[in-house]
Amino acid sequence: MWVPMSWLGELVELPEGVSVEELAERLTMAGLEVDSIERSGPDLSAIVVGHVLSRKKHPDADRLSVCEVDLGGEAPQTIVCGAPNVDAGQKVAVAKPGIRLQGKKLKKSKIRGVTSNGMICSTSELALTDPDEEMEGILVLDAEAPIGATLDTVLPSGETVLEVAITANRGDCASLLGIAREVSAALGTPVRIPESGVPEDGPPTSDSIAVEIQAPEACHSYAARIVRGVTVGESPAWLQAKLEAAQLRPINVVVDVTNLVLLELGQPLHAFDLAQVAGERIVVRRAVAGEPLATLDGQDHELSAADLVIADAERAIGLAGVMGGANSEVGDSTRDVLIESAHFSPECVRHTGRRLGIHSDAAYRFARGVDRDGIVRAADRAARLIAELAGGQVDSGIVLATGNAPDVVESIEVSPARVNRLLGTDLAATEIVSLLAPLGIVASGSDPLVCEIPSHRNDLRIPADVIEEVARMSGYNSIEPQPLFGELTTGTRPPALELADQVRDAWAAEGFIEVQTFPFFDPNGLDALGLAADDPRRATLRVINPISETQGHLRSTHLPSLLSVVRENRSRQVDCVRIFEVSRVFRLEKEGELPEERWRATALITRPEEARLWEGAPTAELFYEARGAVERLIRALARPLRFAPSRALEPYLHPGACADILGGKSALGVVGEIHPAALSRFEIGGLCALIEIDLSAVGELPTRVQSYREVSRHPQVRRDLAVLLDRDQPSQAVLGAVEKKAGESLAWAEIFDRYEGEGVPEGKVSVAFRLVFQRKDRTLTDEEVSTATEAVVQMLQERFGAEQR
Amino acid sequence: MSQTPELPDLDALEDAARTDIAAATTPQALLEVRAAYLGKKGSVAGVLRSIGQLAPEERGPIGQRANVAKARIEEWATARKSALESADIDRKLADQRLDVTLAGTGRPRGTLHLATRVQRDVERFFLSRGFSVEDGPEVETEYNNFDALNLPSDHPAREMQDTFWVEGGHVLRTHTSPVQIRAMSGRKPPFRFIAPGRVYRHDMSPRHSPMFQQVEGFMVDEHTNFAHLKGVLFDFARALMGESVDLRFRASYFPFTEPSAEMDFSCVLCDAKGCATCSQTGWIEWGGCGMIHPEVLRNCGIDPDVHQGFAFGMGLERAAMLRHGVPQIRLLYEGDVRVLEQF
Repeated sequence: MWVPMSWLGELVELPEGVSVEELAERLTMAGLEVDSIERSGPDLSAIVVGHVLSRKKHPDADRLSVCEVDLGGEAPQTIVCGAPNVDAGQKVAVAKPGIRLQGKKLKKSKIRGVTSNGMICSTSELALTDPDEEMEGILVLDAEAPIGATLDTVLPSGETVLEVAITANRGDCASLLGIAREVSAALGTPVRIPESGVPEDGPPTSDSIAVEIQAPEACHSYAARIVRGVTVGESPAWLQAKLEAAQLRPINVVVDVTNLVLLELGQPLHAFDLAQVAGERIVVRRAVAGEPLATLDGQDHELSAADLVIADAERAIGLAGVMGGANSEVGDSTRDVLIESAHFSPECVRHTGRRLGIHSDAAYRFARGVDRDGIVRAADRAARLIAELAGGQVDSGIVLATGNAPDVVESIEVSPARVNRLLGTDLAATEIVSLLAPLGIVASGSDPLVCEIPSHRNDLRIPADVIEEVARMSGYNSIEPQPLFGELTTGTRPPALELADQVRDAWAAEGFIEVQTFPFFDPNGLDALGLAADDPRRATLRVINPISETQGHLRSTHLPSLLSVVRENRSRQVDCVRIFEVSRVFRLEKEGELPEERWRATALITRPEEARLWEGAPTAELFYEARGAVERLIRALARPLRFAPSRALEPYLHPGACADILGGKSALGVVGEIHPAALSRFEIGGLCALIEIDLSAVGELPTRVQSYREVSRHPQVRRDLAVLLDRDQPSQAVLGAVEKKAGESLAWAEIFDRYEGEGVPEGKVSVAFRLVFQRKDRTLTDEEVSTATEAVVQMLQERFGAEQR
Repeated sequence: MSQTPELPDLDALEDAARTDIAAATTPQALLEVRAAYLGKKGSVAGVLRSIGQLAPEERGPIGQRANVAKARIEEWATARKSALESADIDRKLADQRLDVTLAGTGRPRGTLHLATRVQRDVERFFLSRGFSVEDGPEVETEYNNFDALNLPSDHPAREMQDTFWVEGGHVLRTHTSPVQIRAMSGRKPPFRFIAPGRVYRHDMSPRHSPMFQQVEGFMVDEHTNFAHLKGVLFDFARALMGESVDLRFRASYFPFTEPSAEMDFSCVLCDAKGCATCSQTGWIEWGGCGMIHPEVLRNCGIDPDVHQGFAFGMGLERAAMLRHGVPQIRLLYEGDVRVLEQF
């Protein structure tokens, strides 16, 4: 809502001492947020009033004058002027050197040998007129203009316009009168209701028009007025300027008047060409399904039975409260005008406006509710102005039809105790009464207070609404903050959030960077991953109105998004990308129901392509780096998770470098290197490993409390042994057998090297085990250890065909 | 015939030993010097051996003197030995001098996302005030996201929300407020909750992001009022943004609260003096709040004549972005590690 200050000033007295900024602040605090203060017209604050003391001809140029100008400073300034109309004794507008004028910085300059200390300005130089209608010569100011004053204080120029954001409940403020009422309530100055007395010279209105409301539930009242013998031309300049200041385009005098009244009083009006209204009848009815109507904006619509239309005896001539029909539009040839001022139900207007995609100023206001008592006043005001500005005479009387009474709340009972209980205040009944009075809310009685609600405030329906008005008027900031009180309670967090945070902390400690990405994706990414047609992750949820086609579904896996993140970072020359995301993924389980949302943790790591020299090149496979991150995560989560060679192989994983993360018997995640083919489909070079874990499933597992294990006070004895094994023999099984065979004196065993290549026969691999023996009760003898180790070697030979190296 | 042997000059012997010890520059040379004086065949041993040939009255004093000399030389040799050893270590360490200006090795530091960190700050504060954290789905029913919050389908306030619709007639939650409905339904007051999480708006302008994080907070009992709401928000703002931050409450409208307010915090960049970030106003919009609308309580099975309470909601990123000078929210969600690793 655009609020020109000059117009606002017509409707409410604006006290001298209150600046526009201060007023804007008051409105903002009261809930009418002023988004901007626009000043139209040129900035004249740098131009000063000068008094031309003398004028001489320029010694070297016939057309130039050399003037001595008093600018209110110490000495008069010499200014060279080329305008023929400059003369001694005039008050003129002077731009001093150093200021900017028309985008250029003005300098002191020599004009044909005479130094000019500024410029005497014309109206066009001050941007006060259109360049097209330029006036000859300089601007001569009023003789009373004070010397040295800035020009903005002397010449009224431009307009200050407030841009006010109207909340959805305050339809009444979608008008200058509404804003004026708020200003009045805030500043305590009176509202001036515009003149709506109308001279009625014509025959009775009811002779020419009858109004019938056939849909009384959707049209509460309908007033009609007729103005005859109008000349439909352009509006006078003041009216055009008013509309333009409020960001509305002038059309013709009749339409402009209806718009003026709409902006002023908030009551939408419509003007029909009376000659086009067949049968001297207005019928407010539901449309017949399929009924056609072309609206004023040139659109053809096919109406539904839920739409409310204004019809004449034969056809629809307007969409009630939304937009008029082209068939009855007021144009140059219109002589007689029928003015409609009505009260349509908000629901009905919203429905039709939304269904047909029409966002008119009228629909906006009806949807938010209009002043039920303002219908006649608006019709009268429009008739008066049309007769005045377009000529013509107004028929006598108003035709007013009524439908069902609107659902209104005329009074609300509020107990002062309730007010104080909700706000935390200590207001007396009398204080509440006087806080409400400036809003036109008359409260009587004491407990409860009976508050009479003015007809324009249809947003006030329940006691809490009135209590808000009390708070608004006393000022929200005057309510003293108080500490909470109540029983002490212990705050808890859902386990899913705890688990998500544990993963975030563990992976941040691994050196991974947490990313958060949008859940939108393109299911083509699932093809790029190579997922089977029946993969459950194909059941993605479609976004009806996506930002773009490539973000048309909710993701069932993080991978496509995170692989894109890797690619983008690589393209920014970040080689070593280690990222993770912990968030929810979505899967359509059953049509129409909410999707299944599962917490998921996904990490991607790539190999740096160049390591810094003194770090040495990384040697282990990328897989083991990823696996290490999972091992440490499992410790952090304290849940029974373990690895197993992958059973349900993901198509996007390197078949030789991936493992399942098992919880119980089910795979809750995978760790592995990404298949080079999948990587290339995501346009990523080099190596990339991933970890994916279904955290919702992990959350179902029991947590384990780590029990203390006694540490030994006796020395360890280590034995290393290297054996040749079949290359495809998983070492985990061998290690398990070693641990079993080594007996109870074994503290632990590990594989510390795995080597294939030179010196190792084809199809074999050299695996080095370290056996650490230690007892808690005594020191071991060499002999005991040797016996146990030999037993292990023998077992390895017999069971795994191992050959000791 | 017995010959009286010449008395050994132990003073001269000590002087000679001291000079020789000081002249030894290697452990080996020192060993040799030590042997020359203190060894079995050394000079001091020679003196002690010759004592037997002295007159009995001379034996005592000379013997004592020789033992003193032995102890002194021993002491000098030991001191010299440790001096040589520590010089040797110094020399070795000097050879091992590193260029300490090179960067350290090991894993690069990992980082938590800025939004995660703010969310933790927020949760920590409210947990300390006895609020529990409540969670809800990101895809919500139209009922929970709108209708139950007093926003029926044709309500003009719905136009304020740029909603993402998904198939099945559901929405990506436009705010965390539906968690209010989920948490309050079937529970009996008193209770206090916060609900942080991702929310979605169909808005791709530079200053906005289609996904952002909000936190919702609400508390219901028989007496919690607007002054309490202000109290907890002041405390929260100070915990999050520092003691000097100020808040102001503007009247506003939300269908799910009445009275409703928008809250602004004083611009932390310019100390509320006015700058580009706060559009010269000194204030920055923070979020909305108010007393829960009786209709919303009723929708959750709570009697609004008995119970009342407040609710508030605000975006999480704003304060963190200001603290770190991040100019645009979208930078947080593009996955650019050069941005994310800074925090």
